[in-house]
Amino acid sequence: MNAVSPSPVVTPRPSVAIWLWPIVLGLLTVFGLLSALLGQHGIWLALSWTALSIPLIVTVACLLRAWCRTPSVKGGQS
Amino acid sequence: MTPRALRRWFGIHKWTSLVCSIFLLIVCVTGLPMLFSEQIFDTFVGDDDPPYESLPADTPNASLDVIVHKAMALYPGQIITSVNPEDDEPAVLISMAPSWQALKDDETYPDRHSGHWIKFDARTAKVLKQSRPADAPKEPRSWTGVILGTCTRLHMNLFAGLPGALFMGAMGAVFVASLVSGTVLYGRFMKRLPFGSVRTDRASRLTWLDLHNLLGATTLVWATVVGFTGLVNELQTPLFGLWRVTDVRQILKPYANLPVPSQGHLSSVQGAFDTAAKAAPGNEVTGLSFPGASFGSPVHYVLWTRGATPLRARLFTPVLVDARTGELTGAYPMPWYLRFLEISRPLHFGDYGGIPLRILWALLDMVVIFVLVSGLVLWAGKRRIATDARLRALGYDLNEVDALPALAESAR
Repeated sequence: MNAVSPSPVVTPRPSVAIWLWPIVLGLLTVFGLLSALLGQHGIWLALSWTALSIPLIVTVACLLRAWCRTPSVKGGQS
Repeated sequence: MTPRALRRWFGIHKWTSLVCSIFLLIVCVTGLPMLFSEQIFDTFVGDDDPPYESLPADTPNASLDVIVHKAMALYPGQIITSVNPEDDEPAVLISMAPSWQALKDDETYPDRHSGHWIKFDARTAKVLKQSRPADAPKEPRSWTGVILGTCTRLHMNLFAGLPGALFMGAMGAVFVASLVSGTVLYGRFMKRLPFGSVRTDRASRLTWLDLHNLLGATTLVWATVVGFTGLVNELQTPLFGLWRVTDVRQILKPYANLPVPSQGHLSSVQGAFDTAAKAAPGNEVTGLSFPGASFGSPVHYVLWTRGATPLRARLFTPVLVDARTGELTGAYPMPWYLRFLEISRPLHFGDYGGIPLRILWALLDMVVIFVLVSGLVLWAGKRRIATDARLRALGYDLNEVDALPALAESAR
Protein backbone atom coordinates (compact mmCIF):
# COMPACT_ATOMS: atom_id res chain seq x y z
CA MET A 1 0.00 0.00 0.00
CA ASN A 2 1.37 3.36 -0.98
CA ALA A 3 1.08 6.63 0.81
CA VAL A 4 -2.02 8.56 -0.05
CA SER A 5 -1.50 10.61 -3.14
CA PRO A 6 -2.77 14.16 -2.89
CA SER A 7 -3.46 14.23 -6.59
CA PRO A 8 -6.76 12.79 -7.77
CA VAL A 9 -5.33 12.03 -11.21
CA VAL A 10 -4.19 8.46 -10.65
CA THR A 11 -4.78 5.62 -13.03
CA PRO A 12 -7.73 3.44 -12.02
CA ARG A 13 -6.69 0.35 -10.11
CA PRO A 14 -7.63 -3.13 -11.32
CA SER A 15 -10.56 -4.80 -9.56
CA VAL A 16 -8.25 -7.27 -7.84
CA ALA A 17 -6.46 -4.46 -6.06
CA ILE A 18 -9.72 -2.86 -4.97
CA TRP A 19 -11.26 -6.01 -3.62
CA LEU A 20 -8.24 -7.86 -2.23
CA TRP A 21 -8.36 -6.37 1.28
CA PRO A 22 -12.16 -6.40 1.69
CA ILE A 23 -12.26 -10.03 0.55
CA VAL A 24 -9.44 -11.10 2.87
CA LEU A 25 -11.08 -9.35 5.82
CA GLY A 26 -14.46 -10.80 4.87
CA LEU A 27 -13.08 -14.33 4.72
CA LEU A 28 -11.38 -13.84 8.09
CA THR A 29 -14.69 -12.69 9.55
CA VAL A 30 -16.51 -15.72 8.16
CA PHE A 31 -13.81 -18.01 9.50
CA GLY A 32 -13.95 -16.33 12.91
CA LEU A 33 -17.74 -16.58 13.10
CA LEU A 34 -17.80 -20.24 12.13
CA SER A 35 -14.76 -21.57 13.96
CA ALA A 36 -16.20 -20.70 17.38
CA LEU A 37 -19.61 -22.02 16.37
CA LEU A 38 -18.39 -25.34 14.96
CA GLY A 39 -15.25 -25.88 17.02
CA GLN A 40 -16.18 -24.58 20.48
CA HIS A 41 -12.91 -25.76 22.01
CA GLY A 42 -9.73 -24.02 23.10
CA ILE A 43 -7.86 -23.61 19.86
CA TRP A 44 -10.95 -22.91 17.73
CA LEU A 45 -12.13 -20.25 20.14
CA ALA A 46 -8.70 -18.61 20.15
CA LEU A 47 -8.61 -18.72 16.33
CA SER A 48 -12.08 -17.18 16.24
CA TRP A 49 -11.07 -14.31 18.52
CA THR A 50 -7.91 -13.73 16.48
CA ALA A 51 -9.68 -13.83 13.12
CA LEU A 52 -12.41 -11.44 14.25
CA SER A 53 -9.92 -8.99 15.76
CA ILE A 54 -7.93 -8.63 12.54
CA PRO A 55 -10.50 -6.40 10.75
CA LEU A 56 -10.54 -4.16 13.84
CA ILE A 57 -6.75 -4.07 14.04
CA VAL A 58 -6.47 -3.25 10.33
CA THR A 59 -8.98 -0.43 10.81
CA VAL A 60 -7.04 1.05 13.71
CA ALA A 61 -3.77 0.71 11.77
CA CYS A 62 -5.23 2.60 8.79
CA LEU A 63 -6.54 5.35 11.07
CA LEU A 64 -3.21 5.72 12.88
CA ARG A 65 -1.35 5.84 9.58
CA ALA A 66 -3.67 8.50 8.20
CA TRP A 67 -3.42 10.79 11.22
CA CYS A 68 0.24 10.27 12.04
CA ARG A 69 1.75 10.58 8.58
CA THR A 70 -0.25 13.53 7.34
CA PRO A 71 -1.19 15.65 10.32
CA SER A 72 -4.49 17.21 9.52
CA VAL A 73 -4.13 20.88 8.68
CA LYS A 74 -7.81 21.49 8.23
CA GLY A 75 -8.93 19.94 11.48
CA GLY A 76 -12.67 20.26 11.15
CA GLN A 77 -15.27 17.88 12.47
CA SER A 78 -13.16 14.78 12.30
CA MET B 1 -20.28 1.10 -14.80
CA THR B 2 -22.29 3.67 -16.69
CA PRO B 3 -23.00 6.99 -14.96
CA ARG B 4 -26.67 6.10 -15.07
CA ALA B 5 -26.14 2.81 -13.21
CA LEU B 6 -23.92 4.57 -10.70
CA ARG B 7 -26.59 7.18 -10.06
CA ARG B 8 -29.13 4.42 -9.57
CA TRP B 9 -26.93 2.53 -7.06
CA PHE B 10 -26.26 5.77 -5.28
CA GLY B 11 -29.99 6.42 -5.01
CA ILE B 12 -30.60 2.92 -3.68
CA HIS B 13 -27.86 3.32 -1.09
CA LYS B 14 -29.07 6.73 -0.01
CA TRP B 15 -32.70 5.81 0.40
CA THR B 16 -32.28 2.34 1.93
CA SER B 17 -29.79 3.79 4.42
CA LEU B 18 -31.97 6.75 5.29
CA VAL B 19 -34.99 4.52 5.84
CA CYS B 20 -33.23 2.14 8.21
CA SER B 21 -30.49 4.22 9.82
CA ILE B 22 -32.46 5.60 12.78
CA PHE B 23 -33.77 2.12 13.62
CA LEU B 24 -30.33 0.60 13.08
CA LEU B 25 -28.89 3.15 15.49
CA ILE B 26 -31.50 2.15 18.09
CA VAL B 27 -30.69 -1.52 17.54
CA CYS B 28 -26.91 -1.00 17.70
CA VAL B 29 -27.06 1.10 20.87
CA THR B 30 -29.56 -1.08 22.74
CA GLY B 31 -27.67 -4.19 21.66
CA LEU B 32 -24.57 -3.14 23.61
CA PRO B 33 -26.00 -3.60 27.14
CA MET B 34 -27.87 -6.71 25.96
CA LEU B 35 -24.56 -8.32 25.01
CA PHE B 36 -23.42 -8.13 28.61
CA SER B 37 -26.79 -8.56 30.34
CA GLU B 38 -25.62 -11.62 32.33
CA GLN B 39 -22.53 -9.84 33.60
CA ILE B 40 -24.52 -6.69 34.39
CA PHE B 41 -27.07 -8.67 36.37
CA ASP B 42 -24.42 -10.61 38.25
CA THR B 43 -22.59 -7.42 39.15
CA PHE B 44 -25.44 -5.11 40.06
CA VAL B 45 -28.33 -7.37 41.01
CA GLY B 46 -27.18 -10.89 41.84
CA ASP B 47 -29.73 -13.38 43.12
CA ASP B 48 -30.97 -13.92 46.64
CA ASP B 49 -31.48 -17.67 46.19
CA PRO B 50 -30.55 -19.78 49.22
CA PRO B 51 -27.26 -21.63 48.72
CA TYR B 52 -27.31 -25.28 47.65
CA GLU B 53 -26.64 -28.01 50.15
CA SER B 54 -23.12 -29.26 49.63
CA LEU B 55 -23.38 -32.88 48.63
CA PRO B 56 -20.82 -35.22 47.06
CA ALA B 57 -20.53 -34.54 43.32
CA ASP B 58 -21.79 -38.01 42.43
CA THR B 59 -25.05 -37.68 44.39
CA PRO B 60 -27.76 -39.05 42.10
CA ASN B 61 -30.76 -36.89 41.25
CA ALA B 62 -34.09 -37.62 42.91
CA SER B 63 -36.74 -39.12 40.67
CA LEU B 64 -38.79 -36.40 38.97
CA ASP B 65 -41.90 -38.30 40.04
CA VAL B 66 -41.05 -37.61 43.69
CA ILE B 67 -40.67 -33.91 42.94
CA VAL B 68 -43.91 -33.81 40.92
CA HIS B 69 -45.85 -35.49 43.74
CA LYS B 70 -44.42 -33.09 46.31
CA ALA B 71 -45.52 -30.15 44.17
CA MET B 72 -49.03 -31.62 43.81
CA ALA B 73 -49.22 -32.14 47.57
CA LEU B 74 -48.21 -28.51 48.18
CA TYR B 75 -51.04 -27.19 46.01
CA PRO B 76 -53.83 -29.77 46.04
CA GLY B 77 -56.41 -29.16 43.34
CA GLN B 78 -54.00 -27.24 41.11
CA ILE B 79 -52.37 -28.51 37.93
CA ILE B 80 -48.75 -28.81 36.93
CA THR B 81 -48.03 -27.14 33.61
CA SER B 82 -44.35 -27.94 33.06
CA VAL B 83 -41.24 -29.55 34.54
CA ASN B 84 -37.89 -27.96 33.69
CA PRO B 85 -34.58 -29.21 35.06
CA GLU B 86 -32.09 -26.31 35.07
CA ASP B 87 -29.01 -26.89 32.96
CA ASP B 88 -26.47 -24.91 34.97
CA GLU B 89 -27.47 -25.76 38.55
CA PRO B 90 -28.91 -28.81 40.31
CA ALA B 91 -32.47 -27.56 40.42
CA VAL B 92 -35.84 -28.47 38.91
CA LEU B 93 -38.45 -25.83 38.22
CA ILE B 94 -42.09 -26.97 38.50
CA SER B 95 -44.65 -24.56 37.01
CA MET B 96 -48.20 -24.73 38.29
CA ALA B 97 -51.55 -23.02 37.79
CA PRO B 98 -55.10 -23.32 39.18
CA SER B 99 -56.23 -24.73 35.80
CA TRP B 100 -55.46 -24.56 32.07
CA GLN B 101 -58.51 -22.35 31.69
CA ALA B 102 -57.14 -19.90 34.29
CA LEU B 103 -53.89 -19.66 32.29
CA LYS B 104 -55.84 -19.04 29.10
CA ASP B 105 -57.87 -16.32 30.82
CA ASP B 106 -54.64 -14.61 31.86
CA GLU B 107 -54.10 -13.71 28.21
CA THR B 108 -57.25 -11.58 28.18
CA TYR B 109 -56.49 -9.95 31.55
CA PRO B 110 -52.89 -8.73 31.42
CA ASP B 111 -52.77 -7.93 35.16
CA ARG B 112 -53.70 -11.47 36.19
CA HIS B 113 -50.94 -13.99 36.78
CA SER B 114 -52.39 -17.27 37.89
CA GLY B 115 -49.27 -19.30 37.02
CA HIS B 116 -46.55 -19.76 39.63
CA TRP B 117 -43.46 -21.92 40.14
CA ILE B 118 -41.61 -23.94 42.76
CA LYS B 119 -37.87 -24.56 42.62
CA PHE B 120 -36.69 -27.91 43.97
CA ASP B 121 -33.20 -29.18 44.67
CA ALA B 122 -32.79 -31.84 41.98
CA ARG B 123 -30.89 -34.17 44.32
CA THR B 124 -32.78 -33.91 47.62
CA ALA B 125 -36.20 -32.96 46.20
CA LYS B 126 -36.42 -30.20 48.85
CA VAL B 127 -38.17 -26.92 48.06
CA LEU B 128 -35.57 -24.20 47.48
CA LYS B 129 -37.68 -21.23 46.51
CA GLN B 130 -41.15 -20.30 45.30
CA SER B 131 -42.36 -17.53 43.05
CA ARG B 132 -43.93 -14.57 44.78
CA PRO B 133 -47.67 -15.05 45.30
CA ALA B 134 -49.75 -13.12 42.78
CA ASP B 135 -51.45 -11.02 45.48
CA ALA B 136 -48.16 -10.02 47.17
CA PRO B 137 -47.07 -6.41 46.73
CA LYS B 138 -44.95 -6.03 43.62
CA GLU B 139 -41.22 -6.21 44.08
CA PRO B 140 -39.67 -2.85 43.19
CA ARG B 141 -37.86 -3.21 39.88
CA SER B 142 -34.16 -2.57 39.98
CA TRP B 143 -32.84 0.14 37.70
CA THR B 144 -30.70 -2.45 35.93
CA GLY B 145 -33.81 -4.47 35.21
CA VAL B 146 -35.62 -1.41 33.88
CA ILE B 147 -32.75 -0.40 31.61
CA LEU B 148 -32.15 -3.90 30.26
CA GLY B 149 -35.87 -4.51 29.84
CA THR B 150 -36.30 -1.26 27.94
CA CYS B 151 -33.29 -2.04 25.74
CA THR B 152 -34.57 -5.53 24.97
CA ARG B 153 -38.06 -4.36 24.04
CA LEU B 154 -36.74 -1.50 21.92
CA HIS B 155 -34.25 -3.81 20.23
CA MET B 156 -36.78 -6.52 19.43
CA ASN B 157 -39.98 -4.67 18.60
CA LEU B 158 -39.97 -1.00 19.69
CA PHE B 159 -42.58 -1.87 22.35
CA ALA B 160 -45.00 -2.79 19.56
CA GLY B 161 -45.28 -6.59 19.83
CA LEU B 162 -45.55 -8.65 16.67
CA PRO B 163 -46.13 -5.70 14.29
CA GLY B 164 -43.05 -4.06 15.79
CA ALA B 165 -41.01 -7.23 15.33
CA LEU B 166 -42.09 -7.54 11.69
CA PHE B 167 -41.32 -3.87 11.13
CA MET B 168 -37.84 -4.32 12.58
CA GLY B 169 -37.44 -7.41 10.39
CA ALA B 170 -38.28 -5.26 7.37
CA MET B 171 -35.70 -2.70 8.52
CA GLY B 172 -33.20 -5.58 8.67
CA ALA B 173 -33.97 -6.41 5.04
CA VAL B 174 -33.57 -2.73 4.05
CA PHE B 175 -30.26 -2.68 5.93
CA VAL B 176 -28.99 -5.67 3.94
CA ALA B 177 -30.03 -3.87 0.72
CA SER B 178 -28.13 -0.78 1.86
CA LEU B 179 -25.04 -2.92 2.57
CA VAL B 180 -25.17 -4.47 -0.90
CA SER B 181 -25.56 -1.11 -2.64
CA GLY B 182 -22.87 0.35 -0.39
CA THR B 183 -20.49 -2.41 -1.51
CA VAL B 184 -21.12 -1.56 -5.16
CA LEU B 185 -20.43 2.12 -4.49
CA TYR B 186 -17.30 1.21 -2.53
CA GLY B 187 -15.87 -0.52 -5.59
CA ARG B 188 -16.53 2.60 -7.62
CA PHE B 189 -15.07 5.06 -5.10
CA MET B 190 -11.94 3.03 -4.45
CA LYS B 191 -10.94 2.90 -8.14
CA ARG B 192 -8.35 5.62 -7.56
CA LEU B 193 -7.48 5.08 -3.92
CA PRO B 194 -5.47 2.36 -2.18
CA PHE B 195 -7.28 0.39 0.52
CA GLY B 196 -7.42 2.11 3.87
CA SER B 197 -6.53 5.59 2.70
CA VAL B 198 -8.09 8.36 4.74
CA ARG B 199 -7.54 11.80 3.24
CA THR B 200 -7.14 14.10 6.23
CA ASP B 201 -5.47 16.98 4.42
CA ARG B 202 -8.40 18.04 2.30
CA ALA B 203 -12.10 18.83 2.68
CA SER B 204 -13.52 17.28 5.85
CA ARG B 205 -16.24 15.79 3.70
CA LEU B 206 -13.59 13.60 2.04
CA THR B 207 -12.35 12.46 5.46
CA TRP B 208 -15.86 11.45 6.43
CA LEU B 209 -16.31 9.65 3.11
CA ASP B 210 -13.02 7.77 3.48
CA LEU B 211 -13.83 6.79 7.07
CA HIS B 212 -17.31 5.64 5.99
CA ASN B 213 -15.71 3.52 3.25
CA LEU B 214 -12.90 2.10 5.38
CA LEU B 215 -14.98 1.19 8.44
CA GLY B 216 -17.83 -0.05 6.26
CA ALA B 217 -15.51 -2.30 4.26
CA THR B 218 -13.81 -3.84 7.29
CA THR B 219 -17.08 -4.67 9.08
CA LEU B 220 -19.13 -5.45 5.96
CA VAL B 221 -19.35 -9.23 6.43
CA TRP B 222 -20.02 -9.04 10.16
CA ALA B 223 -22.74 -6.43 9.67
CA THR B 224 -24.33 -8.51 6.90
CA VAL B 225 -24.35 -11.67 9.03
CA VAL B 226 -25.70 -9.97 12.16
CA GLY B 227 -28.21 -7.93 10.14
CA PHE B 228 -29.52 -10.92 8.21
CA THR B 229 -29.71 -13.23 11.25
CA GLY B 230 -31.48 -10.41 13.10
CA LEU B 231 -34.05 -10.29 10.32
CA VAL B 232 -34.51 -14.08 10.60
CA ASN B 233 -34.96 -13.78 14.38
CA GLU B 234 -37.69 -11.18 13.94
CA LEU B 235 -39.59 -13.73 11.86
CA GLN B 236 -39.68 -16.32 14.62
CA THR B 237 -43.33 -15.84 15.59
CA PRO B 238 -44.69 -16.32 12.05
CA LEU B 239 -42.25 -19.20 11.42
CA PHE B 240 -43.35 -21.06 14.56
CA GLY B 241 -46.95 -20.27 13.64
CA LEU B 242 -46.42 -21.77 10.19
CA TRP B 243 -45.04 -24.94 11.77
CA ARG B 244 -47.99 -25.17 14.14
CA VAL B 245 -50.64 -24.91 11.45
CA THR B 246 -48.85 -27.37 9.14
CA ASP B 247 -46.78 -30.20 10.67
CA VAL B 248 -47.93 -29.91 14.28
CA ARG B 249 -51.61 -29.85 13.37
CA GLN B 250 -51.07 -32.93 11.20
CA ILE B 251 -49.33 -34.83 14.00
CA LEU B 252 -51.91 -33.92 16.65
CA LYS B 253 -54.98 -34.43 14.46
CA PRO B 254 -55.91 -37.92 15.79
CA TYR B 255 -55.85 -36.65 19.39
CA ALA B 256 -57.27 -33.16 18.99
CA ASN B 257 -60.74 -33.92 20.32
CA LEU B 258 -59.84 -36.16 23.26
CA PRO B 259 -60.50 -34.90 26.80
CA VAL B 260 -57.54 -33.93 29.03
CA PRO B 261 -57.11 -36.75 31.59
CA SER B 262 -56.90 -35.76 35.26
CA GLN B 263 -53.31 -35.32 36.44
CA GLY B 264 -53.69 -37.99 39.12
CA HIS B 265 -53.88 -40.69 36.46
CA LEU B 266 -50.92 -39.89 34.22
CA SER B 267 -47.91 -42.07 33.53
CA SER B 268 -44.53 -41.42 35.15
CA VAL B 269 -42.85 -38.08 34.40
CA GLN B 270 -39.40 -39.57 35.03
CA GLY B 271 -40.33 -42.41 32.64
CA ALA B 272 -41.29 -39.83 29.98
CA PHE B 273 -37.89 -38.10 30.36
CA ASP B 274 -36.12 -41.46 29.96
CA THR B 275 -38.23 -42.42 26.94
CA ALA B 276 -37.55 -39.05 25.27
CA ALA B 277 -33.80 -39.32 25.88
CA LYS B 278 -33.85 -42.69 24.09
CA ALA B 279 -36.04 -41.39 21.26
CA ALA B 280 -33.69 -38.50 20.48
CA PRO B 281 -30.20 -39.98 20.87
CA GLY B 282 -27.45 -37.42 21.34
CA ASN B 283 -29.95 -34.90 22.66
CA GLU B 284 -30.57 -33.77 26.20
CA VAL B 285 -34.12 -33.33 27.51
CA THR B 286 -34.63 -29.77 28.71
CA GLY B 287 -38.26 -29.74 29.74
CA LEU B 288 -41.69 -31.30 29.71
CA SER B 289 -45.14 -29.80 29.26
CA PHE B 290 -48.17 -31.55 30.69
CA PRO B 291 -51.10 -32.64 28.51
CA GLY B 292 -53.50 -29.79 27.85
CA ALA B 293 -50.93 -27.03 27.22
CA SER B 294 -52.15 -24.62 24.55
CA PHE B 295 -49.58 -25.71 21.94
CA GLY B 296 -49.64 -29.45 22.68
CA SER B 297 -51.94 -32.44 22.63
CA PRO B 298 -54.58 -33.18 25.29
CA VAL B 299 -53.14 -36.62 26.03
CA HIS B 300 -49.37 -36.25 25.52
CA TYR B 301 -46.40 -35.08 27.47
CA VAL B 302 -44.44 -32.78 25.13
CA LEU B 303 -40.73 -33.08 25.85
CA TRP B 304 -38.24 -30.58 24.48
CA THR B 305 -34.86 -32.02 23.63
CA ARG B 306 -31.88 -30.22 22.21
CA GLY B 307 -28.55 -31.14 20.69
CA ALA B 308 -25.66 -31.57 23.08
CA THR B 309 -23.05 -29.91 20.85
CA PRO B 310 -22.94 -26.08 20.76
CA LEU B 311 -23.95 -25.92 17.11
CA ARG B 312 -26.99 -28.09 17.74
CA ALA B 313 -27.74 -26.79 21.24
CA ARG B 314 -30.37 -24.47 19.84
CA LEU B 315 -31.91 -27.07 17.55
CA PHE B 316 -34.91 -28.35 19.43
CA THR B 317 -36.57 -31.67 18.69
CA PRO B 318 -39.93 -32.14 20.41
CA VAL B 319 -40.84 -35.66 21.51
CA LEU B 320 -44.39 -36.80 22.24
CA VAL B 321 -44.97 -39.40 24.95
CA ASP B 322 -48.50 -40.66 25.51
CA ALA B 323 -49.32 -39.58 29.08
CA ARG B 324 -51.98 -42.30 29.45
CA THR B 325 -49.68 -45.23 28.71
CA GLY B 326 -46.13 -43.85 28.90
CA GLU B 327 -45.50 -45.09 25.34
CA LEU B 328 -43.44 -43.11 22.85
CA THR B 329 -45.56 -41.54 20.09
CA GLY B 330 -42.67 -40.03 18.16
CA ALA B 331 -39.83 -37.52 17.84
CA TYR B 332 -40.42 -34.68 15.41
CA PRO B 333 -37.36 -32.82 14.11
CA MET B 334 -38.23 -29.27 13.20
CA PRO B 335 -38.63 -28.20 9.55
CA TRP B 336 -35.69 -26.57 7.77
CA TYR B 337 -36.89 -23.02 8.30
CA LEU B 338 -36.96 -23.43 12.07
CA ARG B 339 -33.58 -25.18 12.06
CA PHE B 340 -32.25 -22.20 10.12
CA LEU B 341 -33.79 -19.88 12.71
CA GLU B 342 -32.13 -21.80 15.53
CA ILE B 343 -28.70 -21.56 13.85
CA SER B 344 -29.27 -17.85 13.21
CA ARG B 345 -29.60 -17.10 16.90
CA PRO B 346 -26.01 -17.61 18.07
CA LEU B 347 -24.72 -15.77 15.00
CA HIS B 348 -26.88 -12.82 15.96
CA PHE B 349 -26.29 -12.86 19.73
CA GLY B 350 -22.52 -13.56 19.67
CA ASP B 351 -22.95 -15.60 22.83
CA TYR B 352 -21.10 -18.73 21.77
CA GLY B 353 -17.46 -17.85 22.24
CA GLY B 354 -16.98 -16.58 25.76
CA ILE B 355 -16.43 -13.03 26.92
CA PRO B 356 -13.77 -12.19 24.27
CA LEU B 357 -16.30 -12.87 21.52
CA ARG B 358 -18.86 -10.62 23.24
CA ILE B 359 -16.24 -7.87 23.50
CA LEU B 360 -15.42 -8.25 19.79
CA TRP B 361 -19.17 -8.10 19.07
CA ALA B 362 -19.39 -4.87 21.04
CA LEU B 363 -16.38 -3.33 19.25
CA LEU B 364 -17.69 -4.31 15.81
CA ASP B 365 -21.08 -2.93 16.83
CA MET B 366 -19.47 0.40 17.74
CA VAL B 367 -17.70 0.53 14.37
CA VAL B 368 -21.07 -0.04 12.68
CA ILE B 369 -22.54 2.82 14.76
CA PHE B 370 -19.75 5.03 13.41
CA VAL B 371 -20.49 3.92 9.84
CA LEU B 372 -24.16 4.84 10.35
CA VAL B 373 -23.30 8.21 11.85
CA SER B 374 -20.73 9.03 9.16
CA GLY B 375 -23.29 8.09 6.53
CA LEU B 376 -25.76 10.52 8.09
CA VAL B 377 -23.08 13.23 8.26
CA LEU B 378 -22.31 12.74 4.55
CA TRP B 379 -25.99 12.93 3.70
CA ALA B 380 -26.58 16.00 5.86
CA GLY B 381 -23.48 17.70 4.41
CA LYS B 382 -24.70 17.01 0.91
CA ARG B 383 -28.06 18.44 1.74
CA ARG B 384 -26.44 21.59 3.08
CA ILE B 385 -24.48 22.01 -0.13
CA ALA B 386 -27.66 21.71 -2.12
CA THR B 387 -29.47 24.12 0.19
CA ASP B 388 -26.55 26.56 0.11
CA ALA B 389 -26.59 26.53 -3.67
CA ARG B 390 -30.28 27.24 -3.62
CA LEU B 391 -29.91 30.04 -1.08
CA ARG B 392 -27.11 31.62 -3.08
CA ALA B 393 -29.32 31.51 -6.13
CA LEU B 394 -31.85 33.49 -4.11
CA GLY B 395 -29.22 36.13 -3.38
CA TYR B 396 -28.44 35.41 0.29
CA ASP B 397 -24.89 36.04 1.46
CA LEU B 398 -24.10 32.86 3.34
CA ASN B 399 -20.57 33.77 4.44
CA GLU B 400 -21.99 36.53 6.61
CA VAL B 401 -24.23 34.10 8.46
CA ASP B 402 -21.43 31.56 8.82
CA ALA B 403 -19.09 34.19 10.27
CA LEU B 404 -21.39 35.13 13.13
CA PRO B 405 -20.67 32.21 15.48
CA ALA B 406 -16.97 32.67 14.85
CA LEU B 407 -17.22 36.33 15.89
CA ALA B 408 -19.10 35.42 19.02
CA GLU B 409 -16.41 32.86 19.77
CA SER B 410 -13.53 35.33 19.44
CA ALA B 411 -15.34 37.99 21.46
CA ARG B 412 -15.15 35.83 24.58
